[in-house]
Amino acid sequence: MRYSKLTPYLFILPMLIGLLVFRLIPIGASFGISFTSWNVFSPPRWIGLENYRTLLQSPVFWEVARNTVVFALVFVPLVMGLGLALALLVNQKLRGSTFFRGVFFMPYITSIVAVALAWKWILSTRFGLLNNALIEWFGVWSPPSWLGDPAYALFAVAFVLAWQSAGFQMLLFLAGLQNIDESLTEAAMIDGATRSQVFRHITLPLLSPITFFVLVISLIASSQTFEVTYALTGGGPQRASTTLAFYIYQNAFVHFQMGFASALAYMLLLFVGGLTLVNFLARRRWVHYG
Amino acid sequence: MAEPAVVIDPVRDAEQARRRKRAISALRSGVIYALLAVFSFLTLFPFLWMVITSFKLPGDVFRIPPTFTPTLLFSDTPFANYAEVLFKFDFLRYAGNSLFVASIAATGQLVTCSLAGFAFARMRFPLKNLLFGLLIFTLLIPIEVTIIPEFLLMVRLGWLDTYLPLIVPSLMVGAFGTFLLTEFFKTVPASLEEAATIDGASPFAIYRHIFLPLSTPALASLFVVAFITNWNELLRPVLYISDRNLRTLPLGLTTLQGQYESSWTLLMAGSIISILPMILVYIAAQKYIIRGFMSSGIK
Amino acid sequence: MQRPLALAALLVGALTLSGLALGQTLRYFSWETNIADETAALIAEFEALNPGVTVDFEALPPDQYWPRMSAMAAANNLPDVFYMSSGFITEWHQNGLLANLQPYVDQLDLDDYFTGALSVARFPDPDVGNLHAVPINWVGPVLYYNATAFDEAGLAYPSAEWSWDEFLEAAKALTIDKTGNGRIDQYGYWVYGRYAQVEPWIYMNGGRLLNEARTRVEPNDAAIETLAFLSDLVNLHGVAPRPQEMEGIRQQDVFPLGIAAMWVDGSWNISNNRSIIGDQFTWDIALIPTGPSTTDRIGYTWPDMLAVGANSQHQDLAWAFVEFMTGPSRGASSFLGGTVPFYRPTAESEAWLERDQQPASKHVILELGQLPSRTSFTPNWSEWRGYAAAEGGGMNGELDQVFNGRKALDAAIASFVAYGNQVLSRSYPQP
Repeated sequence: MRYSKLTPYLFILPMLIGLLVFRLIPIGASFGISFTSWNVFSPPRWIGLENYRTLLQSPVFWEVARNTVVFALVFVPLVMGLGLALALLVNQKLRGSTFFRGVFFMPYITSIVAVALAWKWILSTRFGLLNNALIEWFGVWSPPSWLGDPAYALFAVAFVLAWQSAGFQMLLFLAGLQNIDESLTEAAMIDGATRSQVFRHITLPLLSPITFFVLVISLIASSQTFEVTYALTGGGPQRASTTLAFYIYQNAFVHFQMGFASALAYMLLLFVGGLTLVNFLARRRWVHYG
Repeated sequence: MAEPAVVIDPVRDAEQARRRKRAISALRSGVIYALLAVFSFLTLFPFLWMVITSFKLPGDVFRIPPTFTPTLLFSDTPFANYAEVLFKFDFLRYAGNSLFVASIAATGQLVTCSLAGFAFARMRFPLKNLLFGLLIFTLLIPIEVTIIPEFLLMVRLGWLDTYLPLIVPSLMVGAFGTFLLTEFFKTVPASLEEAATIDGASPFAIYRHIFLPLSTPALASLFVVAFITNWNELLRPVLYISDRNLRTLPLGLTTLQGQYESSWTLLMAGSIISILPMILVYIAAQKYIIRGFMSSGIK
Repeated sequence: MQRPLALAALLVGALTLSGLALGQTLRYFSWETNIADETAALIAEFEALNPGVTVDFEALPPDQYWPRMSAMAAANNLPDVFYMSSGFITEWHQNGLLANLQPYVDQLDLDDYFTGALSVARFPDPDVGNLHAVPINWVGPVLYYNATAFDEAGLAYPSAEWSWDEFLEAAKALTIDKTGNGRIDQYGYWVYGRYAQVEPWIYMNGGRLLNEARTRVEPNDAAIETLAFLSDLVNLHGVAPRPQEMEGIRQQDVFPLGIAAMWVDGSWNISNNRSIIGDQFTWDIALIPTGPSTTDRIGYTWPDMLAVGANSQHQDLAWAFVEFMTGPSRGASSFLGGTVPFYRPTAESEAWLERDQQPASKHVILELGQLPSRTSFTPNWSEWRGYAAAEGGGMNGELDQVFNGRKALDAAIASFVAYGNQVLSRSYPQP
């Protein structure tokens, strides 16, 4: 393409203005706030690195940070796997695919409050569908408390969030699958390749740009756990299901420690941002464009 | 020479092979349908619970074991909850407000994100990687810590109690949307671009006549996502909207919640009302996301 | 020539002056979203009594109320009149955001009000300090009991003389496996670490959680004795389920669904109880039983209050509105089941006592109001106590671990005391 030096900037101009004014200004302010003690309703008080020192020395922070890592390790593969599986399922030329596509997308638009209530009932220790099925059909005498036992609570939250988001990943994977030229796969099949060979050597590589995108988005989504945690377990029992995002909300809007919450947010940024950066750098190894 | 013991009948063999293939194909379809059915049940279950609850009487919502009879449906006024929510609680107006805000924000995102995505994907310019990195970086900061500074900014701009804080930021800067479209635009073959350049097309013409049409799945997906994200947003309307008539749906739903008690039946009716437009948007966008076989261009 | 001019000037002047009095707008922000109709009617009445005044009313539930309030405070744009909770009032007062209402209150006849609820809003001294907010209603935990279950077990109902021993006897008799499958279908009691469930027992037993100055967490022996008693109910006697057993059910539904025959929690649960129980069984309320260390009975009650913004431009008018909303004009119907009006005659009226509905003994709440009240509210209370979105941690979380059998009581107490003092030392560097 031929273009002047100014042209790219004209293309990005609206986004650039918005970025500067509506995102970077508040973000810059919040960075400054992380060096203060601020309860929001009165002026901030400068305390330097105190917030960062406190959180690095706080066992609660490390517990929550560890929960965040575990959550990401469980959630990201789960939601990507589910999304891809669903996309492949509905991409088959079967009657009713359109209907199923809509159905799988439903959780993404259903209110998290309703989703959580329904799942709380399914996972309820005494009266829940799951445990009653375990007792009746599988003879498990004392099934665990999925939401009340520290060993399971975090995984329960990761599972419910994955269930809710899978429809969205499915949509993205579908868009990617639709972009793959069918003549390629057909030609390979005619040449004698099996379905799984086609999948591994043609579909997956051609899907890699979208897979990369979904990976980054899922990683970012794993750090946006406030809504689902609040509705499902309230962060309990005893912080077992508290991830950084929930801990940040607690500090910001329950305890009104906005300075500390901002410092926490920058730690979250370091973690997720670091992982994202690694992904971007490693991109060349496995992502094929055009 | 003796005749062979087994007659080789090519026609019959082909026939048998076809039948076998059909049987395997039918089995495969069956398995797929079964999987789809199981997933569908799991997926629809909470939504079904919401619908049933919206047709219940208040005392029936929390029972152990939970009941699935929509008790209100069998009374004289089956749609009482919906009527109350739509008219007494003004949800019809709130739905209209949400529709207005979300449509403008989502449409605006299509424009700004595609323009920016085109530049990031196909052009070279100084600071490109830095700007892109900044964009992604903004996705990683939780809204809780930026909302108060943002609020103070809006106060200074004089935008309180208007729709501007809800529309303008997401219209102008969609980090997710730009990221999505950048990745998508990168997959368009360079040959198309080169051919158009040789024909004398300007970058904007290439963007408009080649890249946009090829990216309808991504654009439609982005519209759906942007619409839904904006539609479901609660924290910003809570802080920015005071006027009752300007309320969006999620804000309206909070009026059904109380300090000690919430009206669950009304809340579910209101939630269903809130979900329906998103379903419609999704169905409408589906056509563009799923195209049939499409030539990807020059071979 | 000058007369008409002078007259005109006077006229303009008079109109301008009255125009200043006319057209005043009062901003009123509340978290009571459930009484929108009653509030609108009250506002209309106030506006009729004060011509030219408009009241701009907005309500959001608590989860959204506080973020919005803090944003408005940050922008120096607080409403004129707003709700204030017992849990947050100390912080808001310390930051100079509440107007001093003592001069106005001095002109009120306080005999008609539940003055016991005023100490939370008095600064610096709870007894003689200046009032910075006026209670609009107050609440307190009571003992709910399933009268039908008591009848079936042949037990006498809880009385004002009940002690821990009688309570435990009843709880044991009420813990039943009805179907004989080895699982208990009805527990005698239900408890978890929540402030409204644990602290009433502590205070009635003469315990305290804070030191005298309310600057440090220092549970006394009577408090520790109470926590041990409650822990034993679950871990030793098995008359109450473990909190994790009840996961997936809303905690306030355990009693009305008949899973537990007795329960201590706030009086506001009357609404939910009525809605879920309906006619299925008879239930009533009583005072918390006394314990071995009880000297004088102490209750646990706290008010929700109305405050006036310190920077409000209409303080006189705001006070008039506050007086109106906390006084006789507000009928009993706008106090949803179990919240008590600050204005005594309304609370003692038949309309509030609702003797034709369950619980028949709603007057017990008024008796609770006669007792001296003790609380644990401090700055950052929700953080160390474990409240609302922070319920997973703090003292609430630690006690839940004890009730779930995962931690010993001593270790839990040491934990929450340390954490509480760490939080409190932010506001009070010296004890």
